[in-house]
Amino acid sequence: MRELERIFVRVNWLGLTTIALGFALWEVLLRAGFAQYQNLPAPSAIADGLVEITTSGQLLADTLHTLRAVLVGWAAALVLGVVMGLLLGASSTLRRYSLASIEILRPMPGIAFAPVALLLFGFSLQMELMVIILPALWPVLINTMGAVMGVHARLFEVGRTFRVSRSDILRKIMLPAALPGVLVGARLSMTLALVLAIVAEMVGNPAGLGYAVVREQQAMRPELVFAYVVVIGALGVVLNAMLTGAVAVFFPAASGRMREAG
Amino acid sequence: MDHQPRTLGSAGQLRSALASLPPARGLLPLILLLLVWQLVQPGPSPYFPGPSQWWTATLTLFSREHLVAAFGATTWTFLKGLLLAIVAGTVLGLLVGISDRAARALQPLLEFMRAIPPPVTVPVASLLIGYSETMKLTVVVLSALWPILLNTTSAVRQIDPLLLDVARSFRLTALQRMRRIILPAIVPSLLLGIRVAIPLAIVVTLLVEMLTSLPGIGAIMIRSQRNFQSSEVYALLVLVGLFGFVVNDLFAIIEGVIMRRWPPRS
Repeated sequence: MRELERIFVRVNWLGLTTIALGFALWEVLLRAGFAQYQNLPAPSAIADGLVEITTSGQLLADTLHTLRAVLVGWAAALVLGVVMGLLLGASSTLRRYSLASIEILRPMPGIAFAPVALLLFGFSLQMELMVIILPALWPVLINTMGAVMGVHARLFEVGRTFRVSRSDILRKIMLPAALPGVLVGARLSMTLALVLAIVAEMVGNPAGLGYAVVREQQAMRPELVFAYVVVIGALGVVLNAMLTGAVAVFFPAASGRMREAG
Repeated sequence: MDHQPRTLGSAGQLRSALASLPPARGLLPLILLLLVWQLVQPGPSPYFPGPSQWWTATLTLFSREHLVAAFGATTWTFLKGLLLAIVAGTVLGLLVGISDRAARALQPLLEFMRAIPPPVTVPVASLLIGYSETMKLTVVVLSALWPILLNTTSAVRQIDPLLLDVARSFRLTALQRMRRIILPAIVPSLLLGIRVAIPLAIVVTLLVEMLTSLPGIGAIMIRSQRNFQSSEVYALLVLVGLFGFVVNDLFAIIEGVIMRRWPPRS
């Protein structure tokens, strides 16, 4: 009960009231005929739209597709980013011979890969994954590398003096030191993965939530467009909350830094 | 913290900028990749045309597609949208952040707006405004606005109240408070917000051109892909990559200059 009470107090009621009032005002203005935009749906119509796509099963299918693309792409970006980040963080030679290449590739806008991915994979999940993984890799790589580089050189020396094996150096020194960086990168990369999945579905693979928004726009169903936008926003919030929650439970020490960086 | 002299000569500035670059040896993997690619596949191919083909395709694009004008249109939309977002984001962020109650009242709404992936603004704006230059600008502003606005708000809220009390006891005017205390305090967060906003603005600029075929690089990218002009697709990937690189580096230079003028207080 105590816990519930604390959550109740922490909820920003004022902020939620603002949102509710905003919706009410929007509804009233539209009903009173103050609508400037022909295609602006009222909140009640958007709610009806949400019910419509939920009961037809379309929403679930679209959401699951996008969720799969985001999670698979994000996981691949995490693995690649952590491995490359650890290697680059540990070896200054490797850094010297690759950092400039990374600095050229990193600012490449993710959407630029969409036409190439379409060329190579056509309308498919692989196309989406290519558009997601390449750009989502960098935040993980850079933050992991930075965290490993931040390990004091003396720690490695101590490890060597005590003849700690290489795998133990990785497990006991490098990985714990890299963890906060990995988590910061993981969070940035997840946001990026969702944005890129939506982009890939809009201009490429005709499936998932991104395509649904474009489809309903072309079908001139504004209430469904807005309903999908609400779902996509909620998906972003939920994914982020789940990651933050999981980190707070499993790695409480690193969770503060991740939240600051987000 | 800042031991550097305030004004470096332009030669000194250039030297310090060059020193912060990673060594050029680091370009080796990229150059090797392109060389191997060229050796394995020198000719045209529907999937992996050789890099020399990209160059020919670039020249074709320049003469056929008016590439310079397209880059101009894309750059102009991006810059205008970003600047409008910076101005609007800073002003709104200051207004929201100065009042504690306003910040609490608006925070959940603003957080939700930021959580919506910017690409979805394109179909929504197409519905409400239709395909036009105004729509193009609107979606870019809406994509870049939230990180700038929210960063400004949180920076204003983190200013030590003591500083503001001191300002009040010295009877500084609102304008002086703004110039001497508030603006310097928000500069680092504002720059961070802009850094987050830049890639979003680029992506959305290209996306809106791809989806609506309004003139710009995005429209040419999608046209080349639909016509299966693989060399052109790769050529455009390189050109857009260079665009991102140049924007990123220019902003890093501007950031450096601003940070020297208003060094962050610790």
